[in-house]
Amino acid sequence: MKLPVAAGLATAAVTITLYPLFEGGTWFWSCLGAILVTTVAGAVASHLGARPWVAPAVTPVAVLLYLTLVFTPDEAWLRIIPTKDSLAGLAELIGSGFDDIQRYAAPVPDNAGIMLLTTAGVALIALLVDVLAVRLRRAALAGLPLLALFTVPAAVITEPIGWIAFVVAAFGYVGLLVADGRERLSRWGRAVVVRRSAGSARGAAPDTERLALSGKRIGVTAIALAVLVPAVLPALSPDPLFGFGVGNGLGGGGGNIGIPDAIAKLGGQLRQQRNATVLTYTSSDNVPRYLRIYSLDIFDGTKWTLAPLRGRPEDRVSEGPLPPAPGLRPGVSVKRAEMRVTMSDEIDKLNFLPLPYPARQVDADGDWRADRSSLMVFSTDDEAAGLDYRVVTEEPDPTVTELRTAVTLPESDRYLQLPDGIDPRVAALARRVTADAATPYEAAVALQEWFTRNGRFTYDVRASGSGAQALSRFLLRDRTGYCEQFAGAMAVMARLLNIPARVSIGYTGGTKIGDEWTVRTHDAHAWPELFFDGIGWLRFEPTPAGAAGQGTAQVPLYSLPVTPTDGPTANPSDGPSANEEDDGDQSAGPARPNPRQLDRDLDGTAIAADPGTPVPVKIGIGAAAALALLLLPAAARLAMRRRRLRRITRTATGGHAAWAELRDMLTDLGMAGEPSETPRALGRRIGERYALGPQAAESLTRVVTSEERLRYAPTPSASGPAPADLHRIRRDLASKASRWRRLGAVFAPMSVLLRVRAAGEGALDVFDRLEGLRPRLWRARPDGTRTVTPERPGDARAGAGDLDRERTLTGSRR
Amino acid sequence: MAVTPDVTDASARLEDLIDTAHRIRNSIESVIEGKSDVVRLTITVLLAEGHLLIEDVPGVGKTMLAKALARSIDCPVKRVQFTPDLLPSDITGVSAYNQQTREFEFKPGPVFANIVVGDEINRASPKTQSALLECMEEHQVTVDGVTYALESPFMVIATQNPIEMEGTYPLPEAQRDRFTAKIAMGYPEPAAELEMLDVHGASQPLDKMEAVATTTEVAALIQAVRAVYVSQPVKRYAVDLVSATRHSPDLRLGASPRATLHLVRSARAHAALSGRDYVIPDDLQDLAVPVLAHRLLPSLEAQGQRRHPEQLVGELVRRVPVPDAK
Repeated sequence: MKLPVAAGLATAAVTITLYPLFEGGTWFWSCLGAILVTTVAGAVASHLGARPWVAPAVTPVAVLLYLTLVFTPDEAWLRIIPTKDSLAGLAELIGSGFDDIQRYAAPVPDNAGIMLLTTAGVALIALLVDVLAVRLRRAALAGLPLLALFTVPAAVITEPIGWIAFVVAAFGYVGLLVADGRERLSRWGRAVVVRRSAGSARGAAPDTERLALSGKRIGVTAIALAVLVPAVLPALSPDPLFGFGVGNGLGGGGGNIGIPDAIAKLGGQLRQQRNATVLTYTSSDNVPRYLRIYSLDIFDGTKWTLAPLRGRPEDRVSEGPLPPAPGLRPGVSVKRAEMRVTMSDEIDKLNFLPLPYPARQVDADGDWRADRSSLMVFSTDDEAAGLDYRVVTEEPDPTVTELRTAVTLPESDRYLQLPDGIDPRVAALARRVTADAATPYEAAVALQEWFTRNGRFTYDVRASGSGAQALSRFLLRDRTGYCEQFAGAMAVMARLLNIPARVSIGYTGGTKIGDEWTVRTHDAHAWPELFFDGIGWLRFEPTPAGAAGQGTAQVPLYSLPVTPTDGPTANPSDGPSANEEDDGDQSAGPARPNPRQLDRDLDGTAIAADPGTPVPVKIGIGAAAALALLLLPAAARLAMRRRRLRRITRTATGGHAAWAELRDMLTDLGMAGEPSETPRALGRRIGERYALGPQAAESLTRVVTSEERLRYAPTPSASGPAPADLHRIRRDLASKASRWRRLGAVFAPMSVLLRVRAAGEGALDVFDRLEGLRPRLWRARPDGTRTVTPERPGDARAGAGDLDRERTLTGSRR
Repeated sequence: MAVTPDVTDASARLEDLIDTAHRIRNSIESVIEGKSDVVRLTITVLLAEGHLLIEDVPGVGKTMLAKALARSIDCPVKRVQFTPDLLPSDITGVSAYNQQTREFEFKPGPVFANIVVGDEINRASPKTQSALLECMEEHQVTVDGVTYALESPFMVIATQNPIEMEGTYPLPEAQRDRFTAKIAMGYPEPAAELEMLDVHGASQPLDKMEAVATTTEVAALIQAVRAVYVSQPVKRYAVDLVSATRHSPDLRLGASPRATLHLVRSARAHAALSGRDYVIPDDLQDLAVPVLAHRLLPSLEAQGQRRHPEQLVGELVRRVPVPDAK
């Protein structure tokens, strides 16, 4: 009966690790109830002696009753028996749960829909664990569903799971394994015939207590090691274990994002290990917006940089509205929104304000000034950390016609400037990609389409973005990179096509938590902005979004390709996709892909290459290392043989060395005998079975006799073996072995491997010693306790079983 | 290596020993055909100052072996036919009243001899069998409070039928423990049996046997055997083997410390017979089954699986690792 309980506890323990996904704790009690129902249903079924398949069949029904009772009692008959209405209610809740999950990022509020989904999921896991561990008696396999549950928070949130949660979950699983082992052993016990003799009763009743103790100790030690070792070792960051290496943003793993010079400050922020919150904001229309910090307008062939900023006193944001957005004609409709931004205290020095583009008005404490041409807001002495500010934005909301007819008259030449030495193939590529585009806008859309869909790019934050050849390598060869490469490349290609372009650095809109949008370091982003006369600068998004790309990137609606038929009727707006998610994509039309699921073919030319070291070299280094590792046993064996051969001639007890070498030689060749084989018996066996030649046989006798006399005789033999004897035996024996055996003896000598294994077992003996600790302490106590379990198997061996031994000697068999 | 006088002496004595042992062996083998292992073990037990229990079905030459050994050595030999009505005093001797001296006079029983052949020992009641306990272990007899020392060398060779046979009593554990070794004769090979027909067909070969060794010679040999060197690893191996029988789950009674003693003693003799002045684990391995098996009681499970103690000891020998030098 203990096993079902252990299975339930294991599921409950792993369920605890879901905590970072939710706000509040109601969900946990609801899940616990589901686990309880599953466990009780299974236990009752098996208690009533039902067939093994009954429990898995009955449990879902019980879970359904439970869900009805908890979630839709009003529609149900007697509050628990499902009716048509209550089932419909459940279905509705599930639907809304899915919607909520889509809408919210973790931690999600535990509303009814999400709770129902979670509870049902946990109940399913509990059922699987119960079936595997209790019905099929495969407790170890039950770890798979538990692991699936455990990976949910790891996959969803980027922050590491707390070590305490890990320990609790691990204990749950270990407890299940221990319970399983105990139950198995106690079953053996019942089959054993009861013995009459007290002395020989050892082994009759398996002592599961000790076994469980041992299992627990091993489990505890393993868990403690898993927690402590990564924390203690300086070289091992604890993150790989608990952080699960989730780094789908610029700050992935806190590595260098490679944005040069002016952006180094941002890089500094991004180097934080944790995916820390950078800022939170609310917006009046509840729509996320990209927040721009820098606008890079100069491309020098290797990197994008800033032109010098001009912050005149009259451009102080406190003086009034910001300068008008360049290029925006008064006739174009705009969408006005107000945002309140709270910067985190913990960010590094930042003299720029993250703002939506174009900002019209900024209310912030301090001397913040706007740059006229780029509308960047910066300060020479104030910092953004901890700042609370309000910003009003007026986003252009162009119609399709306006976009199509827009020309790209440059506001100034500098947005078209490109250095000499751009690979001509890049220009050719840009022209080829946009061959079908009639207008600059269509060309821009085609470019974005090519980056996100047709070009078969691979998103990889490890790619390094600098270097003169980086651009052509990214576009022509690797097609692997992250937002910096995508943004830079699209901007360059746009300039090649005579569309003014610049690169913006900042953050994506982040994720919604509660009423606020939270922007974290992993939301750091770079994107291109393209200029259309009359509309101004428009954001494009060439970087793939979603799990295989920049997590929270969103493609602006206006930049999606529109089919000519529904083009005019569509109402393009740059309202980001939060709208779209709410509306279930209706406005996007059937031909429009969900921007969060850019289906990118990964099977094509995309090569996940790291431009650092060439792949063949890496493979070569890896292969060489592997080879060296593989040859380690062979080298160890060789060294050992050398040492022994030297010892044979040099020391008086050289016979032992010769013998040890002979034994290892036989082990390597697969001719080893049992440990009970005496030297003489070994000599006889080898001599007879492998029909050694007369000389080798003589050598063998010499080695064997010498060892025998060294061990057992009062005086050693007059003449010991010589290294030549061993060579001779070896030659003769090798000629009798198969070729594979010979190769194995040289390259994977069993004698060395067995020694390594023995060393490992020796380490495990530490547990045995721990094991002996308790019985010893326990015996030290007064006699009364001794009667609790009078016969303890194995004690006699431990030297403490004198009582047992005495019984044996006096022959008390009746 | 320098040859010390001691070594010469020891090897000289060993050569004598081998010579004498060979003579006894040949003498016995002239009447027991094709049983050289049994004969060798018999001599081993003799030199180890032990007692031998020969168990087998009737008619395979148990008594013949016992008598042949007795005949080969020129010493007093007594034979006791154990019958159900045999009394302890029939073995040890009795104090009888002497009319002339008007005193009780001790009439020594058949145990007062160098070699005592107890035929069909398990046909006597356990009470009678127990009379042998003191003489076998302590080489003395106590009758009416007076203790009489027995001859030296003293060896009891008992034969018995397997206990499943009709009219037999099982030997008490204490009695079995006093026998150094138990051997089974086994049926002879067809060729040996043919030869036996020729030899035994016409006459009784035992009649023609002559003693080939004297008591003094045998006593000297026993002394030489006592000097055989037993190294520490071998002693440990003996202890390991015996204690393995105590811890085996297949056995409800393991071997006694006396068994360890017997094992090492007979290993010495075994080594000496092989011409070695030191014992090697092989000696112990060869002797483990005959020396240990008859003292053990298999567990009910082992009995149920028809695993005999001989088999169980064999398994233990294969399992217990041979100690190396350290």
